[in-house]
Amino acid sequence: MRKKALIFTLFIAMSCFSQNKQILYNFTSIPQSMMTNPGSDVKYKWYFGVPLLSGISANVGSSGFSAYDLFADNGVDFNDKLRNVLFSTTKKDKVAVNEQIELFSGGFRIGPDEKKAYISFGMYQEFDMLSYMPKDIAVLAIDGNKDYLGKVFDLGDLNVKAEMLSVLHVGYHKNIKENLILGVRGKIYSSVFNATSTKNSGYIYTIPSTGNSVYEQVIYSDLQLNTSGIAQYDDENYTADVASDIRKKVVLGGNLGVGIDLGLTYYPQKNIQFTASAVDIGFINHTKEVEGLRYKGYYKFEGVKPNFLDPSQVSDAYQEFKDAIPLDTVYTKYTTWRPAKFNSSIQYSFGEDRSDEECDCQGFDSETVYKNAVGAQLFVMTTPRTPLVAFTTYYRRKISNGLQLKATYTLDSFSYTNIGLGLSSKLGPVNFYVLADNLLEYKDITKSNSFSFQLGLNVIFNDK
Amino acid sequence: MKNTVFKKFSGLLLLVIVCFSCASDLDFNQVNDVKLEPVFVSNLASFEIPAKDFVTGGVEQNVIYAVPTVDIFNDSFFRNNLVKAGLDFEINNTINRAYTLEITFLDVNDSPIHSINFSIPAYTGTENLVSTTETFENTQLNILKRTTKMAFLLRMASGPALTENSLGSIKLRSGVTAYFIIE
Repeated sequence: MRKKALIFTLFIAMSCFSQNKQILYNFTSIPQSMMTNPGSDVKYKWYFGVPLLSGISANVGSSGFSAYDLFADNGVDFNDKLRNVLFSTTKKDKVAVNEQIELFSGGFRIGPDEKKAYISFGMYQEFDMLSYMPKDIAVLAIDGNKDYLGKVFDLGDLNVKAEMLSVLHVGYHKNIKENLILGVRGKIYSSVFNATSTKNSGYIYTIPSTGNSVYEQVIYSDLQLNTSGIAQYDDENYTADVASDIRKKVVLGGNLGVGIDLGLTYYPQKNIQFTASAVDIGFINHTKEVEGLRYKGYYKFEGVKPNFLDPSQVSDAYQEFKDAIPLDTVYTKYTTWRPAKFNSSIQYSFGEDRSDEECDCQGFDSETVYKNAVGAQLFVMTTPRTPLVAFTTYYRRKISNGLQLKATYTLDSFSYTNIGLGLSSKLGPVNFYVLADNLLEYKDITKSNSFSFQLGLNVIFNDK
Repeated sequence: MKNTVFKKFSGLLLLVIVCFSCASDLDFNQVNDVKLEPVFVSNLASFEIPAKDFVTGGVEQNVIYAVPTVDIFNDSFFRNNLVKAGLDFEINNTINRAYTLEITFLDVNDSPIHSINFSIPAYTGTENLVSTTETFENTQLNILKRTTKMAFLLRMASGPALTENSLGSIKLRSGVTAYFIIE
């Protein structure tokens, strides 16, 4: 069990990815683009997502290694692969797995034509995990300290959080002026479970000593893991059905929180568009089913000190150590912040297309439609350490009234060769979209460092 | 025309989806093969007894002892995973008397199960380190895993008389190198 936990920690710790949805962002023929910017220039009379199929997305990735590096069925000893992976990564390597499924979604237009305003709403389930590579702790576990005398092992390398939650949301966006759209979305989070261990510090070192003991050996630890919604499953007497528990918590029965998304779209000129958004500015209060583990204290380990002056006094160095740095169970309430995401884009459109009478919902003026657009996007996401940043350039092409294509090239700390492609089709009122990035890696997905995709099915009714 | 373009791009879309299936063989069961072999070093024991501590009220104490608890090897993690241990001892005597040190390993019933003896020559002006390494492996390792206390017994040999003003000390430094295999 210990072994599996360790491998799992190593595995999750060495992948990395962000929640960047660079293809979906500002791809306004897809209603779900409103989830990345509540002020998107999305127009509809009304729409609804096909329940459970309207928005499915997943991101998985790894900066330090691929699944192939560790699990390839190639006859190389697994322990050798594990060591190679460990020593080729750094404490900055990280994984953020993200998965979302829309349970339902919909929207409708309100107000008179000249002052169009839109309501959208829905609920989705989300799983988030972000972990950094606990490099020093893993080295200590695999090699021990014998060959690392003088090295200070940083216990702060341990930095992991995981959460499953459901989000109920209602958004509103409106053309404040002819060329300015503002949007806002309120969210209620219901956390199914949460595990957070992100504010750790401490060190362990062993230095050869010329003093009274062989080594100067110090351990200082300030580690804490907070959990909510998990503790009861540790209890052997707990017999309730996990699936039914999850269902209850999804429907606002978990630990609750609130959040807000803000966004805008602005057209300084007809063919120039600027957008910006802040998504998931919010927090969750963990008050129910909380249980944490704390390992805190300082101890200078000098070994056994026989007391010759008073032999009746029995010293016990190991017990002293355990008393100095006890493993405590704590039941304190805690608050977690959602990973906030910031997006911004600038776009230039060209190639007017007036041939069709049908509004295709692109551009702020439905009478002027552009076939092509090029643009650049910036994405920033908060993490327990340095924010993740990604820069994307893109080209969007209207192939026909029923088909739009967006191609992206993204630069971030994980990849300089991330090419993505998105297609959004509309046959009658039925909108189907599929977006995927890191296409160059797909030739052998097990060797890829990351991939993400989004797909979904909507029914959209526009004005004729 | 539109239809052709649509078909073309639907094909491309399909291609992207099909690409999902390209993958090398992976074997996640390899996790069961994991074998960690860390080696840890740590302090085991230390003391420094000044010469004057061998004199009480003007009378020499020729035998002194202490019995500290040493139950770390008894811990379940050590019992399950320790495969070899090296105990290093280094004694530096700067008192003008010879000693013998006997370290006896005691089990939970205080019964002796192992002992190590040191013969420590008297100090004559030059540093005279006594050092040894005791290695526990295979069946010997069980001795260590059963140990819960260590008795340190120092016997002073005859020689020039000590007073409460005598200089020098007898110093022991001891470390352990623990080899684990965790599967």
